[in-house]
Amino acid sequence: MGHRAAVIGAGHTRFGVLEEGPRSLVRAAVNQAIGSVDKGIERRSIGRGYLATLGFGGWQIGNASALLGEEAGVPGLPSARVENACASGGFALHEAVNAIRSGEAEVALVVGLEKMTDVSNARRRFWLGVSGDTEWERQAGLTFAGVYGLIADRYLSVHSVPRAALGAVAVKNHANGALNSNAHFQKAVTPEQVAAAPRVADPLGVYDCCPVSDGAAALLLASPDIAPRFTDTPIYIDGIGASSDSLAVQERADLTRFDATRRAAESAFRSADTERSKVSFLEVHDCFTIAELLGLEDLGFAGRGEAGALTLSGATARDGRLPVNPDGGLKAKGHPIGATGVSQAYEVFLQLRGTAGARQVPNARTALTHNVGGAGATAAVTIFSVG
Amino acid sequence: MAATAIERAVPGHAATESRWTVRVTGPVLANVSDGFSAVLGGPVELHEGPIGLGGLAEEISQAVHGNGPQLVVAVDLDPDASGAGSARVVLPTEGAVAFVVDEAPEGSPPPVDLGPLPPGAYVVPRLAAVHRVQGAASPLRWVGDWDAALGKGRPAGRWGDITTDPPPVRVSEGAYLPKPRYREGRASRWRLVADHCTACGAVSFPSRGRCRQCLRGDRLEPHPLPLDGATVLATTWIGRGGQPTEFDAAVEASGPYGVVIVELEPGVRATLPVADAAPGEIRINDRVGTRLRRLYAIDGEWRYGRKAVPLGSPDGPGPS
Repeated sequence: MGHRAAVIGAGHTRFGVLEEGPRSLVRAAVNQAIGSVDKGIERRSIGRGYLATLGFGGWQIGNASALLGEEAGVPGLPSARVENACASGGFALHEAVNAIRSGEAEVALVVGLEKMTDVSNARRRFWLGVSGDTEWERQAGLTFAGVYGLIADRYLSVHSVPRAALGAVAVKNHANGALNSNAHFQKAVTPEQVAAAPRVADPLGVYDCCPVSDGAAALLLASPDIAPRFTDTPIYIDGIGASSDSLAVQERADLTRFDATRRAAESAFRSADTERSKVSFLEVHDCFTIAELLGLEDLGFAGRGEAGALTLSGATARDGRLPVNPDGGLKAKGHPIGATGVSQAYEVFLQLRGTAGARQVPNARTALTHNVGGAGATAAVTIFSVG
Repeated sequence: MAATAIERAVPGHAATESRWTVRVTGPVLANVSDGFSAVLGGPVELHEGPIGLGGLAEEISQAVHGNGPQLVVAVDLDPDASGAGSARVVLPTEGAVAFVVDEAPEGSPPPVDLGPLPPGAYVVPRLAAVHRVQGAASPLRWVGDWDAALGKGRPAGRWGDITTDPPPVRVSEGAYLPKPRYREGRASRWRLVADHCTACGAVSFPSRGRCRQCLRGDRLEPHPLPLDGATVLATTWIGRGGQPTEFDAAVEASGPYGVVIVELEPGVRATLPVADAAPGEIRINDRVGTRLRRLYAIDGEWRYGRKAVPLGSPDGPGPS
């Protein structure tokens, strides 16, 4: 099918509990992305902007994309906000690809943003889970930790998987996060620490859950034809796929499978005209450890119930056969909701250009990002290559 | 409070959509008509005003003989209007009566002597008064405001304690369920009524006025799902502080809670909070019952829903 779009620049703030407000975070990520363009870029050449954000806490619920033009220094930038909960970034990236492919813009800007840590505990717990099924799951007293706790309980039971398989995901991703200076947590943890941690939503404990983080990430996309004007080493987006499912987990035929991920992966591989054996590493949406196991299976890299054994074998470690989340994943890097999908693509940009430093995956040539909204209600999959 | 009394009186039994007449004595809280209507599952014609014991006996008598209201709810009986002694009411052999006596002082005589109760009669006095109603042993039914306290150091015997305060006017600062959607969904939420599509045969739950399989909305009929015997598919236990903010008061009253996904009929699932069980007491493949319980208050309105309880769990610790 050829290349759909080229990534010519990328920026990323620190993720974590930050002093900066939303505008500062956007400005920092965009400035870094612009500064990363090898041959330079005029800001006014940006023809479209997409802002991915949930608007956590109620900050600028409406019309937030207007600030993209202001903070990027592109007065009058046509921009839109894309909101698909935790998958906002992945879907915003797809919108930008389509803007490039349609000819609407030669260069497009995608920014993912969330500011989560400055609200009170009470307001935060009103907001956590706003992207689940409010009409039934929420009435049962669930936030996402609880929804994924239910899924994990079912998964471990049906597939006879030990809880240590969940812990192995946390240990691996914390080890990767320790090498990422942008990560919320830059500290390795032991299987014993993970197992002994207090339970948040049984069987999930504290180390099974991603943190509540602030942060922003930005990408600059160009049409493949003009990408050489900006860099000699663009990264190409070859395939995109997306799907959705019922908001409520209870309405799905199988509680331990995300069909939205399965369908999104199928269309992404079809549109990229490539196969799983070609993929060098994965960015899997691991908001909870169980989600990385489901993701590996639903993306087609492990059989049903086999992702735990795969993880325990070390195959998904940074030096394993199929590295997963070399940046630490949502688990250790942090999960500023709208920023996550863009942040995954940022990691791909570094890895495929060979500039990921201590956490570089050797010979990375093709990568896949997997971005999930809620507990599998929306999913966006993107396949990248060095061309 | 009056609505709570009715919920205690008719847990899971108010499957009718017919019009109810309800006689309420004593002070009536705002929106009580909505509360009755929501619990009873049909429109309510409310008659209210002060009443004494003698008048109460007369109201009950008329109710049970079919000439008066279908339900009598007494709140804050006026002792000065009651006359001396207790009244006696002869009950028929069938029918339902809801009867609430508010906080009788310890040691006071039974406010109303109802004699032996017939099957199907629900007598729902308040707290201590329950023990003094003669013959009230077997048919008692309760719906607790909050759940049994599982946490340590909480006084025993406060199960089903009534909160007399009006619901707090806490406003959601995030996710909330709009009142119309809450009310539209009450048949599903409170009585586990699904939609059965007579065009394609599929059962859709919770009800959304449209068949999930063939997408038709014009061939649906109510399909009550079993209230007891659901099979547990998945469980979790929400640690303290992990609850959505609107559940803070429930956690304060009853401690942390579990949540389960259950299968009510093949292919029909519900996600329910757990009541009356400690962590680990309900597991995958267990069978559970369901009970109508208070969930939380938001925007000045109490929200109720069914909770999963261990099968065979009593309705409450009252006389059995």
